[in-house]
Amino acid sequence: MNKENMIQKALTDTVLTRRSFLKWSAALGGTAALAGGMNLGLKTVEAAAQTAAETDGKWVTVACWHNCGGRCLLKAHVVDGVVTRVKSDDTHPDSPNFPVQRACVRGRSQRMQVFGADRLKYPMKRKNWAPGGGKKELRGKDEWVRISWDEALDIFATETKRILDEHGNKSIYATSYGDAFGALYYDPISRIFSVLGGNVGAWGTVSWGAWPAPSIHMMGGFPSTNDRLDLQNSKLIVLWGANPAWSRQGNTTSFYMEAKRAGARIICVDPMYSATAKTLADEWIPCRPGTDTALLLAIAYHMIENNLQDQTFLDTYAVGFDRDHMPEGADPKENFKDYVLGKYDGTPKTPEWASEICGTHPSVIRSLSQQMATTKPAAFISSYAPARTNRGEQYAQAFFTVGWMTGNVGIPGGVVTWDPLPGGPPLVKLGPRGTSYKDNPVFPSKYLFPFPDPADETWTGLNWSEQWDAILNGEYTAGVRGKQPIDIRMIYHGHSAMLNQSPSLNKGIEAHRKVEFVVSASQFLTTNSKYADLVFPVTTYWERVGDLISANRESIFWWQQASQPLFEAKSDLEISLALAEKMGIDIEMIPFEQVIFNQVAGAEVIKPDGSGFEKLVTITADDIKEWGVEGEPQKGRISLKEFQEKGVYQVERKPGDRFTHIQLKAFRDDPVANPVGTPSGKLQIHSANLAGHIAAFGWDKIAPIAKYEPPVEGYEGTLDGEYPLQLWTPHYLRRSHSVFDNVTWLREAFPQEVWMNPIDAEARGIEQGDTIKITTKHGTALRHVKVDAGIMPGTIATGEGAWADRDDDTGIDMAGATNSLCGPVPTGQGVQGWNTTNAQVEKWTGKPIGADYKQPQRIIFGEEA
Amino acid sequence: MAKQKAFYFDASACIGCKACQIACKDKHDLPLGVRWRRVFEYGGGSWVEQNGVKVPSSLFSSYLSTACQHCESPVCRDVCPVQAITKREDGIVILDSEKCIGCRYCEWACPYSAPQFNEETKAMTKCHFCYDLQAQGLNPACVDACVMRCLDYGELDELRAKYGDLNEIEPLPTNEITNPALVITPHKHSQKSGEGTGRILNLEEEV
Amino acid sequence: MNVHDWALITFTILVQMSVGSMWVLGAVHFFSARKYGMEEADRMSDRALLAIVPVIALGFLASLLHLGDPFNAPRAVTNITNSWLSREIFFGVVFAGLAVVFAFMQWRKLGSFGQRNVVAWLSALAGLVLVLSMSMVYMLPSQPAWNSWNTPISFFTTTFLLGVMAMGAALVANFVYEKRKNTGKTTNQLEILRATLRWISIAAIVLLGIHLIALPLYMVTLAAGSKAGLATVQLLAGSFGWYLGLRVAFLVIGAGVFAMFLYRYALSAGEEKTLSTLAYAAFVMVLAAEVLGRFMFYAAHVRIGI
Repeated sequence: MNKENMIQKALTDTVLTRRSFLKWSAALGGTAALAGGMNLGLKTVEAAAQTAAETDGKWVTVACWHNCGGRCLLKAHVVDGVVTRVKSDDTHPDSPNFPVQRACVRGRSQRMQVFGADRLKYPMKRKNWAPGGGKKELRGKDEWVRISWDEALDIFATETKRILDEHGNKSIYATSYGDAFGALYYDPISRIFSVLGGNVGAWGTVSWGAWPAPSIHMMGGFPSTNDRLDLQNSKLIVLWGANPAWSRQGNTTSFYMEAKRAGARIICVDPMYSATAKTLADEWIPCRPGTDTALLLAIAYHMIENNLQDQTFLDTYAVGFDRDHMPEGADPKENFKDYVLGKYDGTPKTPEWASEICGTHPSVIRSLSQQMATTKPAAFISSYAPARTNRGEQYAQAFFTVGWMTGNVGIPGGVVTWDPLPGGPPLVKLGPRGTSYKDNPVFPSKYLFPFPDPADETWTGLNWSEQWDAILNGEYTAGVRGKQPIDIRMIYHGHSAMLNQSPSLNKGIEAHRKVEFVVSASQFLTTNSKYADLVFPVTTYWERVGDLISANRESIFWWQQASQPLFEAKSDLEISLALAEKMGIDIEMIPFEQVIFNQVAGAEVIKPDGSGFEKLVTITADDIKEWGVEGEPQKGRISLKEFQEKGVYQVERKPGDRFTHIQLKAFRDDPVANPVGTPSGKLQIHSANLAGHIAAFGWDKIAPIAKYEPPVEGYEGTLDGEYPLQLWTPHYLRRSHSVFDNVTWLREAFPQEVWMNPIDAEARGIEQGDTIKITTKHGTALRHVKVDAGIMPGTIATGEGAWADRDDDTGIDMAGATNSLCGPVPTGQGVQGWNTTNAQVEKWTGKPIGADYKQPQRIIFGEEA
Repeated sequence: MAKQKAFYFDASACIGCKACQIACKDKHDLPLGVRWRRVFEYGGGSWVEQNGVKVPSSLFSSYLSTACQHCESPVCRDVCPVQAITKREDGIVILDSEKCIGCRYCEWACPYSAPQFNEETKAMTKCHFCYDLQAQGLNPACVDACVMRCLDYGELDELRAKYGDLNEIEPLPTNEITNPALVITPHKHSQKSGEGTGRILNLEEEV
Repeated sequence: MNVHDWALITFTILVQMSVGSMWVLGAVHFFSARKYGMEEADRMSDRALLAIVPVIALGFLASLLHLGDPFNAPRAVTNITNSWLSREIFFGVVFAGLAVVFAFMQWRKLGSFGQRNVVAWLSALAGLVLVLSMSMVYMLPSQPAWNSWNTPISFFTTTFLLGVMAMGAALVANFVYEKRKNTGKTTNQLEILRATLRWISIAAIVLLGIHLIALPLYMVTLAAGSKAGLATVQLLAGSFGWYLGLRVAFLVIGAGVFAMFLYRYALSAGEEKTLSTLAYAAFVMVLAAEVLGRFMFYAAHVRIGI
C-alpha cells in the first residue's frame, strides 16, 4: 500500500456506525450506559451453550499488549466480526516444563476494555478552547465538542506550527517514547515533532527505581535472572520486595511454585504479607518501605561478626568489601566491611541498630542472615519496588553487596538479581522490523529510559519527578549544567499516562492549565485526555492489522486483527500519517505488512544442540506474492501459515536441557577471561564512578559503597508525628499501571482499597469498609479501607494507577490515584521515589464513597452524538 | 456410585488472582453483581510487641476459589418451587432461567451463594460447570484460566482417590448441609469449616 | 432492605392476620350464635368477614411483587413433593379460595348453614396448614436464624395475636356502624362485643406472654448454636436494637396495657367510645410491632457459608 492509499484508508476507514457499536456492546453484555433493550446475562443454559458454540466463528490470536510485567497469549472468538469470548493458550498440552502461556485476570477482561462503552468515539475539542488556549482554567472540567478528523488534524497542525514559530522546539513537551512504526510502547505521532526539529522529552527510571545506575557501575550492566528451570536448583530463594503474583502475572509465580516443589525454601521480605508470600513463603519477614538498606547492613553485620561471608569469592570476584581489596585509587578506609562494623563512624550496623529503623525484630534479622549465608545454592531476587524510593540507589548497592557476600553468583541455583522474572537470552527471536526514523534532536531516544547522560550538555529533557515544577517555574535540572531555563507552551501525550502516573498530580493539573495547548491521543477519557484541549480517539491493537512480539525467552507471538476500528478511532500510525500530510512534511514509512513480514522472515530459533540459531519460518514464493511484500523464499521449521494460525512459537523445555541460563556463569568460571563491564572487571562493591555519576545528575550524592542515610519522606520522616504513616504503592491486579482501571469487571473484582494494619485502624477508630481520608504533603484522597493484619503497622498501601478523579473545589481525589498523594522529589539518577511517602489517615466523616464498579463510566458521547 | 462431576481446588497454590472469576464472567457474559465463581481470602492473627518491636503473631491467610459445588444433595434444587433446578445424570446441577420465577428462595437455601440473581433478567443464574464445553471435550473456563494450575475437575470418586476427601475449609460451610462435590488440597493455613478463627478479608464482599 | 423483603413482610403479615381473623371470627360467631341466635351472630361478624377478603387479596398481590417473573407464578406449585414454598403457595391458594368462597356464601347466605360451616372449617384448617407451611419455608439448614422452633411458634403467635386484635378492632367498627345506621336494637350486639373484647383481651395477654417468653429463649439458643446465629443475635442486639426495643414496647403496650384496659372497660356498659379507641389503638400497636418483628426476621438473618 502506498502512502496516499494509507492516508486515504486512515481518513475513511471508519466502518462501524454507532448503531453497530451498540449492537456489539449488546452482544457482549456491555455496560450500564448501553443497557436499553439489552439482555444482560443468559436467560437459559441452552442459549449460553449456543452463544459459546465453538463451531461457528473462529479463534484468532490477539494482542495482550500491556506493560504489566508479563506477556501471555490471548485468543479472541470472533463471530460475524464480534468478539464473543476470549481464551488463552491451548496450542499444546500444559505441563510444568512446557507450560502454555496462560493469560491473567486482566487479559481475560480485555474484551470489556476494547469494547467498553467508554471508548472514545470521535475526535473532540474542549468547548472553551481557542487558539492560544482559550479559557485554560477550564481544562479538566470543560464540556467536549465532537469535531471531524479534518478539523482535529487542522487544529493540531495550526497550533503546533504557531507555537514552534513563536517559541521554538524547546517549548513542546511530548511525554511518550517516539518511534517510526508503532512498536509496542512507542508513539509514532510524536515523530512528527522530531521531523519538525524535535521536542523536549520526558525521562525517568520510573518502574525500575534506582537499579539502573548501580547495576551498570557495580556489575557492568543489567543482569538477567537465571532460567526458570535453574531456579529449581536453589535451596533457598529470597524474594525481596517481590510480589510476582501481582506484578509479574501469567506463569511467573508458578515457576517459583515449581522451585518450591523441588525443595527450595522461600523467604519473602516485604512490608506486606503479599499474595506471593501467602502462597510461596516458608517465612515472611516484614520490613518498612525505604529501610531495606538498614536491614541489609545488619544482615551483613551478622555475617561479618560470625565470619559467614564467602571470603574466597569476595577476594577473587569483587572489590571494595574490605581494605585489602579496594579498587584502584579508592580510599582504603572507605571499605564496606569497616563501615558495617562502624570502625570509623562509630556506629556498628547491628541488628539492634537496624531494627529501630526497619522494624524487623533483631532475632529475625540474625536468623535471616544465617540462612542467607549458609544455605547454598541460593537465589536473592529483588523486585524494582524497594529501589523505587528516594535514595533508592543505596538499596541497590546494599542488595548487590550482601548478595555477593554469600558467593551465590554464576552457579546453578545461585543468583543475585533485581528482576523476579526468570530469564536468559532468547531461545527464539523475531527478525528486525526494518523500520527507521529520524531521532528527536532535542532529546535523543537513547536518553528516554532510564536516563540521559548527565555529563552530555546537549539534551533538553524533563525528569518525571521535576517536569511539572519545571513547567510551572520555568527551570529544570540539566545534569552537570545545573539549573537551566525552560518554557513549555505545548504538552503532547501519546502512548503515555503521564499526568496520572507521575508524581504530584496536583502540580501536574496546574501545569496543564498553564500551557497554551494540550493534545492527547487515547482510547478513553484518561487523565491525560481529561485535561487536554484536543483529543484523538485511538484504536486498540485488536482493531489493527496485527504485529509480532517477543513474549519471553521461550516464546514469540503473532497477533491478528480481531475487529474493525470502533467508531472513528484510528491507530496512532494512521494519525501520524494524516498529520504529516496535513502539515506537509515527509515521514519515512513502509507498509505495515512489510514490517510484519520482516519480523517473521527474520525469526530465528535455537538449534536443538544449542549451538546457534536457525530460521524459524518457511516462506514460499506464494506467501510473498500473497502478502505483496519484498522478500526471499526460505526454509524453516514451520510454515508461515501455521505460525500465523497458531499465533505462537514456543521452544519446548526439559530439565537439564542445553538452554539453561545462569547469570554471570562465564565470569564465575573464569573471571580473568570473562571480566564484567566495570573498571576493575570485577563486581564493584565500591564504585567511585557510581558516586560520581549520581552526583552529576545534580540532585543529591551517595557514597561509593552501600550506606544507609535517611531518605526524604522515609521512615524517619514519620517520627515528628504530622504524617506518621508510610504510604507505598504496589502494582495491583486491577490494572497494568493505569491501563484497565476503567474495566468494570476488574473494578468489581478489585476495589481500590487502602490496606491498613488493625493497630493503626483501631488507633483512629477505623473499621474495615469505612471511607478514610489519606493526607500527605502533596495531596488528599478518599478511599475504602481494608483492615488487614497482613500489612506492617505504621505502613499503608494502595495500588498505583487508579484514574484520578479530583474534586476541584475541595482538591480531594475521589479515586485514590496514588500520584494525588506522592510527591515530586527528584533524587539520585532521577528516580521516582513513590514508595517513600509520608501520610496521615483519618476516618472520613462526610458522605461515604460508593463501590468503584458502581461509579459512572466516562462516556462522553452517547446516543445524541 | 452414581456419576458425579466435581471441582478440585488446590488451596496451597492459589494466589487469589481471580483469573478464574473473570474467565467465568467472560464465558457466560455475566453482568456486574453476578459472579458464579468467586475468590475469597480468609485469615486472621495479630501483632504483638516483643522487646519493643511489633512482630506478627500467628498471622494466617490463604485464598479460596469457589463456585457451585454441584452438591450430591443440592438444597437449591429441593427448595425450588418451579423445578427450575435439576441435577443431570453426570451430577451437574443446572438452572433453567426460563422456568425461574425469581422468588430467590434458592439464594436463601444455598450456603455457597451458587444461585445468583440477575437484576436485568430478574431470574436466577448459576454455574453449570461449562457442560457445553465439556460436551465438546474441553475444560470448564475457570479450570483453563488458572495461572497456578490449582483448579481441576473430574469424577468425584476419582478426584477423591487422587487428592483425598477434604471438602470443607473456611470460609466454606460445613459439608453436611449439601454434600458438596468438591475436593480440596488445603493450604498450610487452611482451617476446617466451623472451626475457623479468622474472617473473610475481602473488601469486595462488603462494599 | 429492598422491595423484595417488603413484599414478603406485607404478604406474610397480611395472610397470617387473615388466617387468625378467620379463627377468631369463627369462635365469635359460634359463641354468639349459641347465646343470641344466628341472626345476631351474623350481624356481628359478617362485615368483619367481608373485610378479610381485601386483606387476603392485598397479601397475595404483595407475594407476586417479590417475584422476578410474576406471570410464571402459577407454575410455583409444581414442586409440592419437595418444596415447602410450593406447599405454601398451594395452601395459600386453597385458603384464600375457600375464605373468599365462604365470605361470599355467608354474605349472600348461599347454601345451608351446614354447607357454609363446612367451607368455613375447611378454610380455617387450610389457613393453619398455610401458616405451618409458611414457617417451614424458612426452616433451611443454612439459615440458623430461621431454622428454629421459634419460626413456627412466632408465626402462629403472630397469626392469632393479629387475628384477635384485628377482629377486636373490626367488631368495634362494625358496632359503631350498626349504631350509627340505627338499623335496630344494639343491646345484644353490645353484649356480644363486650364479652368478645374481654376474651380478646385475655387471648392477647396470653399470646403476648408467648412472644415474651419465646424471644429471649430464641436469642439465647440462637447465640449458642452457630457463628451465623450469633451474628444474628449481635445484629438484633446491636444495629437492630432500637427496632427490637420498639417491637417489645409496642407489643407490651398494645397486647398488654391496652388489652388490660380493654378488659376493664368491657366489664361495664356505657364505655363504647373508650372501648373503640382502645381496640383501634391496640390493633395499630400490635400491627406495628409485628411488622417490626417481621422486618427484623428478614433483615437480620445471617446465612451459614459464603
